Amino acid sequence: MIKVFQRLGYQFKEYVILVILVVVSLISISLSEKPQAKKLKAFAIANFAVLSEITETFVSIFTPDVEVEELRIENAKISLQLNKLKKVAAENDELRSMINMRDTSSLPLIPVRVVSKLITKVQGNFIVNRGSNSGIAKGMPVINHRGLVGLVMDVTEDYSVVRTIQNSNLSIAVTIQRSNVDGVLSFDGRDLIIKDIPTTYDVKIGDRVETSDFSSLFPPLIPVGIISKKETNELGLLHSLTVKPFAEIEATNNLFVIGIVSSKQINQLEMNLLKKP
Amino acid sequence: MNYLKPILYFIPLLLIQLVVVPLISIYGIVPNLVLLVAVYYALLGGQIYGMILGFIFGFFFDLFSGGILGASMLSMTIASFVIGYFYNENRVDTNTASYFFLIVLFIAAFINSLVYSFAGNFNPEMKFTALLLEGALLPAVYTTIFGLGIVAFNMRKGRV
Repeated sequence: MIKVFQRLGYQFKEYVILVILVVVSLISISLSEKPQAKKLKAFAIANFAVLSEITETFVSIFTPDVEVEELRIENAKISLQLNKLKKVAAENDELRSMINMRDTSSLPLIPVRVVSKLITKVQGNFIVNRGSNSGIAKGMPVINHRGLVGLVMDVTEDYSVVRTIQNSNLSIAVTIQRSNVDGVLSFDGRDLIIKDIPTTYDVKIGDRVETSDFSSLFPPLIPVGIISKKETNELGLLHSLTVKPFAEIEATNNLFVIGIVSSKQINQLEMNLLKKP
Repeated sequence: MNYLKPILYFIPLLLIQLVVVPLISIYGIVPNLVLLVAVYYALLGGQIYGMILGFIFGFFFDLFSGGILGASMLSMTIASFVIGYFYNENRVDTNTASYFFLIVLFIAAFINSLVYSFAGNFNPEMKFTALLLEGALLPAVYTTIFGLGIVAFNMRKGRV
């Protein structure tokens, strides 16, 4: 009997090895979000990112970068403030309540540089050159001078992993600025989409989209993008809105981590959205 | 054949993949240089060697890139398994120095990107057409274009 199995195993050794490797891979996927796996990844990233940073520094010699850090910080702050002012202008009636809103322009910004990028259609990830030593923590939003880029997902002492908004595993609560319509923004592999907006709601192409007050992942009023396409479902009841992000996610290299994490308790609840269903 | 050689190439290759290659992305589509080398060595070393190499490359790729652990392991193992069927002991040199290599590379890159797109995605609302076209087909074409370099180099080496 054993000899038969041995003979079969030898005869189909390619398939046996394939099955073993596939099973190991699938187990790894299922354990990917477990703390032990994250610890292993953090250790690997912390070491590899050093090499990435050196390479990136070398490569950046050949890429034009005329931005001065202080100017970029100023630019990002102005961008956030401008977005807020546009909202105030559009909603003059709510001016008084707007005054009580949190001033996003005074949020602490930690400048970071991208040292490596994983660009795929399902997993947009960046590794940036600052970590917990610079005050960065898991759950902090990441922006550039134009708008929202992503969220800090893993942190080591000197490096952080940022999940970009062009990642199918990240959903964000957003508001359409002009009409105050709320929705959930997600990436469908091609575009950023806000699904299931009733057709009776006042939504126009060109409307600005920003993070919502309802989001506990992101502070409100961070500019996200503009509505570039509006599609109606077969029954004509719901819209699907395509959002063009302000930030050019793939081309961006200099980012800012907003140094706040929302209420931990609320954050824990919404963080569940990031986990596998 | 030196079986450990590709492992030595891996770290510099991964650095190029994660630092330099994003600079040449076109609408979020990038070539996969790690796979390119895995396919090359799978054609030199055979199916089992290719699978194990793909698995190791995939493991370290997932680990260092910050992606979902296991997604690349799975996709590169399956792609290398398929490529193993094109392995021919008697035609090792010609297989890597002819346009045959590009066809094999395209198939491998397509399978790799497709499996990776599905394995790394937990969102059921992903567009299948987007995964197929922009997630798999176009990266495969882009990777194949880079394969021209290896073919040209090997052809030239063969003549010399």
